[in-house]
Amino acid sequence: MDEQFVAALARAAGLDKALAEFPDDVAAAAAQALNNTGVIQVPDDPAAEPWPPMRAGAGL
Amino acid sequence: MTAPHWLGVAEAAHAIAARELSPVELLASLLQRIETLDPLLHAFIRLDDAAAMNAARAAETEIAAGRSRGTLHGVPIGVKDIIDVAGLPTTCHSKILLDNVAQQDAAVVARLRQAGAIIIGKLSTHEFAIGGPSFDLPFPPARNPWNPEHHPGGSSSGSGAGVCAGLFPGALGSDTGGSVRNPASACGIVGLKPTYGLVSRRGVFPLSFTLDHVGPLTRTVADAALMLDAMAGHDAADPGSAATPAHGFDRLLDRGVRDLRVGFVRHFHEVDMSAHPETTAALEDVARVLQSEGAEVRTVTLPTLNEFAGINRVILCSEAWSIHAPWLRSRPGDYGQLARRRLMPGAFMAAGDYVGAQRRRLQVIAAVEDALRDVDVLLCGSSMDPASRIEDAAETARTYSRQARTPFNVTGHPALAMMSGLSSNGLPLSVQFVGRYFDDATVLRVAAAYERATQWHQRKPPIG
Repeated sequence: MDEQFVAALARAAGLDKALAEFPDDVAAAAAQALNNTGVIQVPDDPAAEPWPPMRAGAGL
Repeated sequence: MTAPHWLGVAEAAHAIAARELSPVELLASLLQRIETLDPLLHAFIRLDDAAAMNAARAAETEIAAGRSRGTLHGVPIGVKDIIDVAGLPTTCHSKILLDNVAQQDAAVVARLRQAGAIIIGKLSTHEFAIGGPSFDLPFPPARNPWNPEHHPGGSSSGSGAGVCAGLFPGALGSDTGGSVRNPASACGIVGLKPTYGLVSRRGVFPLSFTLDHVGPLTRTVADAALMLDAMAGHDAADPGSAATPAHGFDRLLDRGVRDLRVGFVRHFHEVDMSAHPETTAALEDVARVLQSEGAEVRTVTLPTLNEFAGINRVILCSEAWSIHAPWLRSRPGDYGQLARRRLMPGAFMAAGDYVGAQRRRLQVIAAVEDALRDVDVLLCGSSMDPASRIEDAAETARTYSRQARTPFNVTGHPALAMMSGLSSNGLPLSVQFVGRYFDDATVLRVAAAYERATQWHQRKPPIG
């Protein structure tokens, strides 16, 4: 994985301190996040809604 | 006669109500056992012995005067240390929250107290219910009573180890990716993840809002039903709480499984993740037992474990990042390494990843609902392997994700894990039963029938 790319993402997320003190952990976390490609079959249907649905008033 | 420390929740409650057992005598027996065994098992982060003894004395006085607080009057219960108990720190097993004293009881703790339960202390967990087992935290990890060199499962590790070892008859755990059912599986006890919304999460430190559940860990199915009866109920202050009837979970325990339709999800452990041969053999035996008890067992197919795990991972990481981002930015060194590595991935996920996972979630929920239209319950594996050695980080990392529990955090269906045998190296094997939404009573019914037929719950760990 491109170290500079990971470092840029980490800084954008405010993880400068973690990047300085625990670079291996930051790299491991990034690898875990970026290795999910293709695992989930995201619906093709543009109208497929996420869970949980918005329910105005219910349960509040 | 059963030693007091081996009495279950229901047995202890019954003996206390009948004045055959004093709550003080019961608690003293447990405290003596804790003093002997907890230095080895590390189930407790904080034993609240003085307050518990005061509560036991008060219960004794009330019962002698003929006043009953409820179904759990005088019964000691342990609480995972991500759940608030008024006046005690909720540390989440982390340096981050060492001084985080709870101002009030979590809703579920308040309900247990209302039923008369005595809170005995706060229990070990993986850090923030995700980072463990770890040796770089302020408290040591809990260990497995069947063999203390092995992991007791997690993240409700102390809950599982303590119930299994007879340190307390019941405990509270939380379950976001299987954290009640994993220790139940590793320790050979009963762990129930109730239907999402049945038990309030108010006062429970969140890991992932839409995946978090609170559930009981006990040594018998009847005890789980009794605890759930006390724990469940609508809480307007929990946005996920369901306004639905929440009592009578023990009403079907004696009904058996005759004429019930059981859907066996074989592909989870045969195709998606090839289980340890002893796990597979034990699951086939569960199916045979249920058939011999009169159930119809048929094979059903759900989406793959890999996809359920991916959905769970993206949602959990995204929601957990939104909770932990401020501390991960300012105090990364105050987390243990495992928690740091498992909580930071959300920083690298896009909003579209999260929404995509939630959109697919609705479809996999529909798939499980479809399956449950044709059968009354699902039968599947829980852990694919017996518990790993706790100090073998590589083996723990390899086996920890080999499980079939996350699907039902993603869907919110009720799911119960329990013992299904012993491996050749003397560690518990496990099975999982899953039911329709808010039909937790049928899950408990099937589990009770299996328990009666096999008596695995009578086995005790060789720890004294």
